[in-house]
Amino acid sequence: MSANIRPSGVFDTSYGQDISINRTRGDKWLSNGLLIALLLVPLLTAEGPLGISLVPQLWIGLIIRIAIFAIAVQGLNILIGYTGQISLGHAAFMAVGAYTSAILARELGMSFWLALPLSALFTGGVGLIFGLPSLRVKGFYLAMATLAAQFIIPWILRYPLEGITGGSRPLEVPAPSLFGLSFAHENAMFYIIIPLAVIMALAARNIARTRVGRAFVSVRDNDLAAELLGINVFSYKLQAFFLSALYAGVAGCLLAFESNSLSLDKFLLDRSIEMLAMLVIGGAGFPLGPLFGVAFVNLLTQNIIPSIIPSVKGVLPSLFPFLNPINVDAALSPLLFGLALMVFLIIAPRGLAHRWEILKISWKLRPYSH
Amino acid sequence: MRKYLVLLILAALTGLLVLPVSAQEALPDWIEHSACEVDLTGSTIPIIHFGDISGSFAFITQPLLVGFADAIDYFNARGGICGATMIQDNRDTGGDLSQTQAAYDDYSSREPKPSMMVLYASADAELLREQLIEDGIPALISAGSVEGLYGEDGQSPGWIYAANPLYVDQFGNFCEYIGANAEQFPAPVVGYISWPGAFGEAAFTPEAIAYCAAQGVTVLPENESFLPISTDITTQVQNLVDQGATILYTNTLASGPVAVARAVVDLGLEDTVQIAGVNWTLDTSVGLLSRTVIGADGLPAVDGLIGSMPFRWWTERDQPGIQLITEVADSKEPPLEPQNRNIAYLLGWSIVDLYVEIYTQTANRVGGLDAIDGAAVNETLSNFSYSPLGLYDLNFADGVRDAVTNRIAIMRFANADMSGVATSGSDALTLPLADGTTAFLPIVVPVTEFEETPDLRPGGADVP
Amino acid sequence: MASLVKQNQKIITPLLWIIGLIVLVALFAPAIAEQRPARLVQSGITGLLVGGVYSLIALGIVIINKASGVFNFAHGWMMLFGGFMFYSFFSVANISPFAAGGLALLTVLLAVTMVGALRALRDGRTLLVAAAAVVGVTLLLLVPIPMLRGVVGAICGGALIGLAVERFAIRPLIGQPLFAMVLMTLAASELLQGITQMIWGSVELPLAVFSPLREMGIPTPFRFEGTGAFEGTIIVRTELLAAFILALLSFAAFVAFFRFTSVGLAMRATAENQKLAQAVGLRVRVILGVAWAIAAVLAAVAGILQGGATSLSLNLPLLALRAFPAVLLGGLESVPGALVGGLVIGLVQEYANLLFPGTQAGTELAPYVLLMIVLVIRPDGLFGQKRIERI
Repeated sequence: MSANIRPSGVFDTSYGQDISINRTRGDKWLSNGLLIALLLVPLLTAEGPLGISLVPQLWIGLIIRIAIFAIAVQGLNILIGYTGQISLGHAAFMAVGAYTSAILARELGMSFWLALPLSALFTGGVGLIFGLPSLRVKGFYLAMATLAAQFIIPWILRYPLEGITGGSRPLEVPAPSLFGLSFAHENAMFYIIIPLAVIMALAARNIARTRVGRAFVSVRDNDLAAELLGINVFSYKLQAFFLSALYAGVAGCLLAFESNSLSLDKFLLDRSIEMLAMLVIGGAGFPLGPLFGVAFVNLLTQNIIPSIIPSVKGVLPSLFPFLNPINVDAALSPLLFGLALMVFLIIAPRGLAHRWEILKISWKLRPYSH
Repeated sequence: MRKYLVLLILAALTGLLVLPVSAQEALPDWIEHSACEVDLTGSTIPIIHFGDISGSFAFITQPLLVGFADAIDYFNARGGICGATMIQDNRDTGGDLSQTQAAYDDYSSREPKPSMMVLYASADAELLREQLIEDGIPALISAGSVEGLYGEDGQSPGWIYAANPLYVDQFGNFCEYIGANAEQFPAPVVGYISWPGAFGEAAFTPEAIAYCAAQGVTVLPENESFLPISTDITTQVQNLVDQGATILYTNTLASGPVAVARAVVDLGLEDTVQIAGVNWTLDTSVGLLSRTVIGADGLPAVDGLIGSMPFRWWTERDQPGIQLITEVADSKEPPLEPQNRNIAYLLGWSIVDLYVEIYTQTANRVGGLDAIDGAAVNETLSNFSYSPLGLYDLNFADGVRDAVTNRIAIMRFANADMSGVATSGSDALTLPLADGTTAFLPIVVPVTEFEETPDLRPGGADVP
Repeated sequence: MASLVKQNQKIITPLLWIIGLIVLVALFAPAIAEQRPARLVQSGITGLLVGGVYSLIALGIVIINKASGVFNFAHGWMMLFGGFMFYSFFSVANISPFAAGGLALLTVLLAVTMVGALRALRDGRTLLVAAAAVVGVTLLLLVPIPMLRGVVGAICGGALIGLAVERFAIRPLIGQPLFAMVLMTLAASELLQGITQMIWGSVELPLAVFSPLREMGIPTPFRFEGTGAFEGTIIVRTELLAAFILALLSFAAFVAFFRFTSVGLAMRATAENQKLAQAVGLRVRVILGVAWAIAAVLAAVAGILQGGATSLSLNLPLLALRAFPAVLLGGLESVPGALVGGLVIGLVQEYANLLFPGTQAGTELAPYVLLMIVLVIRPDGLFGQKRIERI
C-alpha cells in the first residue's frame, strides 16, 4: 500500500527505480547515513580507540542485543507476519543455532566464520522438522505444536546430548577471530553483528518482495485460496519454517559468541513469548516491525522501567499504607511492563510499524494529505 | 494553607538541624574492623545487588534485601565505612538471564565504574564470570557453582567470591559425615533428587560421586529431577528407593526439600530413608513450609533432615553476631516476621559487614575513596581473611574463591519449654499463626564442628 | 488403488489406529513388564489425581476460548490471584470492613455495568439491587466462618479479575488482529503478577484448606500395603484426592450450568456464532463478561486446590503451562475434551516418570510428544470442532 506512495513530483523512469528500496535520493542518503553513523558509535565510547567518551559504553551492549534479537524476530516475522503460521518455539531454534555453533567451535575447532553458516543451515533443517505438523495443523493448534519444540529441543540438548552440550552446566565459547584479530571485546563484536543484522534485514525485506514472499502472503491471507491458485502451500509453509529457523540460528550463534558463555536458561519459553510480543508490538508483516518491536521492548524493560521504578517506589507505599515497601519494589517491573503493554496494545494494536507507515505517508504527501 | 506550609518547612529545618547533632553510637568492640587510616566522611558507597526479586525463587531473596537495609542502617548509624555512608542499590531481574545481563551492563557502565557488586544465583555467576574479569569488577555471591567461581576447568579462579562452600564440596563433606558414622548409616546409598538447572544439578558431578565412593558411600548413577511446581513426586522418590537409596540428597531450597520430605513421609519411609541437602535446605522457610506436612511422630516431615550449615544460625545466641542481629530484629517496629528470620537475612548482614571491612582495608591501602576501583578491591579480596560478624570464616588466599569451612547439622523442632529438641508432636512447641495453622519452631542442631571441606572441583586436590 | 483406499476408509482408519496402538504397546511393553505392578498402580493413581487439577485449568482456558476466541495466557496468574484472595479471607483473623466493602463494591460495580457504561446505574431498581448486593457480599465477607469467607472472597476476587480483564483488556481490541488479543492476555498476566506481588509479596504460603481433613481423623495419606503380585506400598494422598474430587465437582457444576440454565444456553449460542446470537437478541457483551468471570472463578478454584495440595507461590502460574497440552489434546472448544485431556496428560506424565527414570521425561517431554502425535493424526484435538473452511 504505502510502498507506491512518493512525494509529488517524483516519478519512476526505469524499472530499477521502481523496484529499488530507497526510492528517492533523500531516502538513500538517510539510510546510508544512518548506517554509517551507527557504525561509528563504538569509536566514540570510552573503550574505543579514540578514548573519547561521547557515547556511553552501555549503548554498545544495548545495540548489540537489539540487533541480535532483531535478526531472530525478523525470522519470526517471515513465519508469522508473512506466512501466518504462529510459532512459540523460536527460542528453542535459537538454542539449536547457539549450541551447534558452539559445539562446532569447541569440538571441531571450527572458526566462527564457518560455524555461523553451518549452524544456521542446521537450525533451518531442525525448523523443517518442526514445521511438518503445519501440513495439517493450524492456528493455536500449530502454536502448541511449535510449543512442543520449545520443550523437546532443550530436553534433547539437556539429557541425551549432555556429553557435548554440558547439560545444565554453562558452555564456554571461544571468541571469534579473523586473521589473528580477536573479536573478544564487545566493540569489536559490534562490527560483526551490525553488518550481519543489516544484511539479514535486507534479505528478509527482499524475500518478501519475491515470488516466494508473495506466495507466503497468499498462504497467510487464505491458504485454501492459495492452493487453488496453484501455490504449493505445504512447500511454502516449510520454506517459511526453514527460513525462520535459519534466522533464529544466526541470532543464536551470534548470542553464543557475543557473550562467550552459553546456557540453556537463555532459551526458555519466556524468551519465545517475549519475541512474539516484540513482533506484535513492532508490527507483524511489516519489514521494520521486528526492529521497532525489539528496540521498544528492550528499551522499555531494560532502561525506561528501571529508571521509573525508584521514583514510583517511594510514592506508592505512602499512597497505600497497607503495602509493604519491599513488595512494591519487586512488583513494579512486571506491573509497569504489563501496564505499558496494555496501553500500547489499545493505542496501536497493529504495531509500531503500522503507525510509522501512516506517519511516513502523511509526511510524504504533505501538505496535501489526500 | 500557607501557615501549614511554613510550619512544615520549620519542622523540616529543625529536623535537619537536630539530626547531625544526635550522638553517633559506637560499634560493639567485638566487631574487629581494620582501623580507618583515611576519613571518607561525606561520600557514599553503593551496595549494588541485582537478582531475582520477582521471579520463581523470590521468597529467599526478600529477607536478603531486608537484611541489607537493616544492616546498612545499623552500620551507617555507627560510622559507616570510615565515615562514608552505604546506600542500597538493587534491581530486579526476575530470574531472567537477559535481564541480568541488562542490569549488569547498566551497573558496569556507570561513572564511576562500580568497584564491587553483589550477585544472586549460580546461573547469574556463570553468565557474568568472564565479563566481570574483563571489566575488572569483583563480586560477592552466596552460590557455589564450580563453573561460576572457577570456570569450566575448575581451576581458573575468577573475580566472584562466594560466602558459602561450593555445592559439590558440601556434597562431599556430607558423604564424609555419612561414611564416618557407619553405625548410624550402614551401607549408605545416596539417591540424588533435585531441580533441573545450574543450581539444582551443581553437586551431582563425577568428582563428587567418586569422592563419596571413596568414603564408602554409594551414589546412584541416575539422578531424579522435579520442578518447583510438581504437585507430587512420589514416582521420582520411589524410583530412587527401588534402586536401593537409603539417603535422598537434594540441592534445592524452600519448597524443594519439603516436596521430597512429603513424598517420603507419605510413603511411610521416614524410618528407613534419610533426607539430606545443601545448606539452603536447613532454613526457616523449609521448616515453616512443612508445617502442613506432618509425619507419623506428629512433627513436620523435615524433622531430622541433615544438611550443611556453613554459617552460624539464629539459635546460637551465645555468638555475639547472632545476638546483635536478633536484638536489631526484635527492636524493629513491627519486629521482624518469622519468615524473614532465615538464612538470607543473616547473609544480608554479613555482606554489609564484609563491605565495611573490604572497603576499609582497600581505602587504607590506596589512600582514599577516589583511588578505589575494581582492581584495588579485587587485590584486597584475593588475599582476604575475615569473619563477618563471626557468622562464618572467609579465607580467600591462594586462588580460593569460596568459603572452605562447613559443618553438618540437623533440622529439629523446639520442644515446649524451648529447652531442647522435641521428640514427638506432643512435646513440641507450636505457635498459633494468623491463618489458623500452627507453626513448629525449626531449630538447627550442628552435629560436627566447622571443618575444611574436600576440594572436589574438576582436578581438585581431594578428587580420588 | 486409490479408489480402493477411499472405499474402505471406514475400515482402514480404525485399523491404522489399532496398529498404532499395538506398536506403541509393543514399544513400551518391555519397560512396563519390568516394573512392579504396585508401581504401575501407584503411577496411575498419582497421574489421575494430578490430572484432575489440569482438567480444571484446561476447562477455564476452553471456556474463554469458546467465548472470546482467545487463548488465555493469563490463566495461571488468575489462579494464583484467586488462591491468594482465598488465603486472605480464609486465614486472616480480622478482615478490615473497608477491604471487604471495597472488594464487594468493585465486583458488583463491574458486574452491573457489564452491559454498557454507567447507564445501568441510573435505573433505580438496578441501583437498589446493586446496593443490596454490595451490602450482602460485604456481610458475607465478614462472617467469622473462615471457609465461607474464603470461598466468597475467592469467588469475588475471581469474578472481579475476570470481568476486569474482559472489560479493560479484551473488549477494546474486538475487531483487531488476533495476535494483539493474545498478546493482551500476556500483558494482563504481567499486570496480574505485579498486582499479586504488590499485595501479597513473594512469600510462599502453605494453604491450610485441607488440614481439617486430618483433624477429622481421615488418614493422610491413605496407605495400602499390597500383597502377592502387588507387593509394595500404594498411597493415595488425601489432599490430592480431595482436590481431585472437588475439581470434578466444579467441572460437573459448570457443565450443569452450561447445559441447563438460560445464561448457559445463551453462552452456548454465543459460542456457536456471535453475530447470530446478537441478532436473536442475546446480550453478547454480558455473556462474554459472564464467561470470563466463570473462567476466572474456575481458575481461582484450581488455585485454591493446588495451593492446598502444595502451597501458594509464584511458581504456581507455571502449572497452567503444564495444562496447555491438555487443552489442545482435548480440543480448544471441547468441554469434555478438557476433562479427558487433563487426565491423559496427568497419566502420561507420571508413567513417563516411572518408565524413564532420571530423564525428566515426564514433565518436559512426554506431554508434548503425545501432543505432537495426536495433533498430526487429529489436527483439531481429540474432541475439537472440525473446521469447515470456505473461500
